[in-house]
Amino acid sequence: MDNTVGFTIFGGLANVLMVLLIAPFCQGVLRKVTALIQSRQGPPIRQAYYDLLKLLGKEDIESGNSPVMQRFAVYLSLATVLAISTLIPMGFRAPMNGQGDVILLIYLLTLSGICTLLAGLAAGSTYSILGISRQMMIMIALEPLFVAAIIIGAIHTRSFRLDTVLHGSVYVNPGFPWSGLIMLIVMLLSFQAFVERIPFDISEAETELMEGPLMEYSGPKLAMFKYASMVKLIIYSALFVDMFLPWRLGLAGLLQWPLFWTKIFVLVLLVTLVAATHARYRIDQAIRYFALLLAAALAALVLATFGY
Amino acid sequence: MFNKGKLNALKKKFGAALLRADMPGDRRLFLYVEPSALKEICGYIFNVLDARYVTSIGVDDRPFSGSFMVVHDFAFDRDHMLCSILVHIPADNPKVDSITDIVPAANWAEREMRDLVGIEPVGHKYPKRLVLPDGWPDNVYPLRKDLRWDHVPEDFDEDREFLFDEPPEGCIVVPFGPFHPTLDEPSHFRLYVEGEMVRGCEYRGFMVHRGIEKLSETVMSYNDINIMAERICGICGCVHSVAYSQAVEAAAAVMLPPRAEYIRTIMLEIERLHSHLLWTGLACHILGFDTMFMQSFRIREPIMNIAEKITGNRKTYGLCIIGGVRWDIPTEIHAEIRQALDKLEAEWRPLVASVSRDKNIQKRTKGVGVADRHAVKNTGLVGPVARAAGVDIDCRRDHPYAAYDRVDFNVITEQGGDVWSRLLVRVREVFESIKIIRQCLEKIEPGPLHADIKDELPVGRLGLSSVEAPRGESHQFVITGENNRPRRWRVRAPTYQNLQGVPMMIKDQQIADMTISLGSIDPCFSCTDRLETIDLKSGVTRAWTKDELQELALKMRA
Repeated sequence: MDNTVGFTIFGGLANVLMVLLIAPFCQGVLRKVTALIQSRQGPPIRQAYYDLLKLLGKEDIESGNSPVMQRFAVYLSLATVLAISTLIPMGFRAPMNGQGDVILLIYLLTLSGICTLLAGLAAGSTYSILGISRQMMIMIALEPLFVAAIIIGAIHTRSFRLDTVLHGSVYVNPGFPWSGLIMLIVMLLSFQAFVERIPFDISEAETELMEGPLMEYSGPKLAMFKYASMVKLIIYSALFVDMFLPWRLGLAGLLQWPLFWTKIFVLVLLVTLVAATHARYRIDQAIRYFALLLAAALAALVLATFGY
Repeated sequence: MFNKGKLNALKKKFGAALLRADMPGDRRLFLYVEPSALKEICGYIFNVLDARYVTSIGVDDRPFSGSFMVVHDFAFDRDHMLCSILVHIPADNPKVDSITDIVPAANWAEREMRDLVGIEPVGHKYPKRLVLPDGWPDNVYPLRKDLRWDHVPEDFDEDREFLFDEPPEGCIVVPFGPFHPTLDEPSHFRLYVEGEMVRGCEYRGFMVHRGIEKLSETVMSYNDINIMAERICGICGCVHSVAYSQAVEAAAAVMLPPRAEYIRTIMLEIERLHSHLLWTGLACHILGFDTMFMQSFRIREPIMNIAEKITGNRKTYGLCIIGGVRWDIPTEIHAEIRQALDKLEAEWRPLVASVSRDKNIQKRTKGVGVADRHAVKNTGLVGPVARAAGVDIDCRRDHPYAAYDRVDFNVITEQGGDVWSRLLVRVREVFESIKIIRQCLEKIEPGPLHADIKDELPVGRLGLSSVEAPRGESHQFVITGENNRPRRWRVRAPTYQNLQGVPMMIKDQQIADMTISLGSIDPCFSCTDRLETIDLKSGVTRAWTKDELQELALKMRA
């Protein structure tokens, strides 16, 4: 297969479909495992699909300050994460490689966060405004971490191409990959925040902000947002696997696919475990924590420029 | 034992202003004083004799003595003495000196007195409405004897919006409640927020006030009220029922058979167990730690089963009658109770160990929602909130009732005064409760379940009772009356005082800490509001409007 238009289109579509199909499954696994940890029986794994269907079938209520913006935010949110899924390799090489580079990826990731801000603004209640102000603070602290990882990869490989950077590029240097290992630890420690799960679900915090930006959402729009959040979990897991766990263990072509998804599942289980054993942090505590990670990431960046 | 010296000191200092001192037994004191000296005497008792403020009660005593009555209750915890300061207020000029500038804890109780009985606390700094909605007309006082229990004034406007205070400069208002996922019952805090910091708040509650005190004085009988008292709260109902029974028993000098005392003790401790386990779960849920929430509820389940085994109900035991109890705890199920306790202890110990090592929970609770000794004294805070601030009070030891004087237990205290200390106090009290129930099962004696009451209860006697609920002291005041019902019954649930401490706890804290600070007092709004629940008929699903329900209630009475 070459870099043909056909591969780009079909590969991209295949990624989107795969993500849409598997994301609720991962959510179902997450809920089931959480239930088992909590001595509950838990819903069947397919419950996540039912929930989406149920919500999609409900009445579409226009509410909040600005219903048009509300609708726009939710479409944009799902569209953004799906667009990202066409860009990153998921067991095969990235389908849309020629059409974008890592800078586009960074933009899109930021955009998906901005959708939450739009949603909160559209709701316009005090709680959603509080939610988005927290979301904003988290975004400002988190984005540089991911950017640092990408830049380290770019420095090592001297390229901004997606498939080059998104393939364990952080470890690619002649000596011992110090900067890559530091970034691996930083990303692991901040992963819960990227996928917005406890202890870092601060901007939604049900028991404090009543879901914050999402509070005015219901029915199909809520389904879309939930879907986007499930997809986000997969997207970030995939990015993590691509950048930090690229090893193919010498498996042949087709076997790459199950290997990739196994890695994703392991990450999802890790997220579940951490979420089930922690209490939520307060925003100031979270920001202080991110600041430490940011310092480490900057150190890694400096190391990378000196070739470590 | 109460130091007679304290009484003599009072007599010497105030002389003629002390009209009368009654001491029925050595654990109760009723002081009748001159209205003009009331404030000074309360100040002396509160500050110099270092008594703890409990509550204030307004009484419409006009049909009997021709005057209104104001009662301030204090507790001398070290001397095992509950004390009422009583004044008679002329019927044509129902005014009394407010004691709030000396005893800030009297804030709510005096406002309630003003709302419901129409006794004006002169000099109260914040005489805003507390219990009655803003649409209720002035000059109609529900607890006055000349008002029928079902009277609704013509000009009552139930849709009138509350009048709120202006927020301070530079703050936005974040409405917390009446409906919020962490509030199980309606209650409204208007938080004044600057960025993420809470700078102050205004509280409006009593949205489900149903006036059960009025009902008890007009339509119910002594033993009916037991059933209603239990429905004040869904968590600690047995506490209120026991406290009420004890107040009546104290007033009428009814002696309980020992077996009944042991059974009351066991049920009260079972209630504390389930309540503390429930609280630990909910507190963790508020912090987003749902695993601990689920685990505590799982561990709590056998306790609920035991309660069901003994009384037929998981909650709302229907245990108390005046002079005894309704249910026996037969020897056959002792083994089962012991087994449940062993299981609970075995499962609770590792959980407590892991929670007390958890840095994550400590980060969210240490230094949060602090109420120090000073605040405890001034706001009259009780229960785990007081004990977490190092104030060593516990009605079970200080004002022993039921069989608590025959069992051995420790009063758990901590020094931090923050949410973390309250958590530690509660989780460790679970072990003390287990200890108490085991001793009771050991010591319980055979005998009758209730006293044989042959005569009408005497009229016009005063009764006080304090019971240590899981959340703190439930204090009740009773004046016995005619027609087999009390003249006045006043309930002061623990949350009534603890809730008054919340504005101070959340001031200058992050808004994220609001929910856990409020949660840490284990708030029970229905206790405070004194709610009466009405069950819908099962089977046919039907939505009742409020008016229909009212009509139904009237029909059932007729």
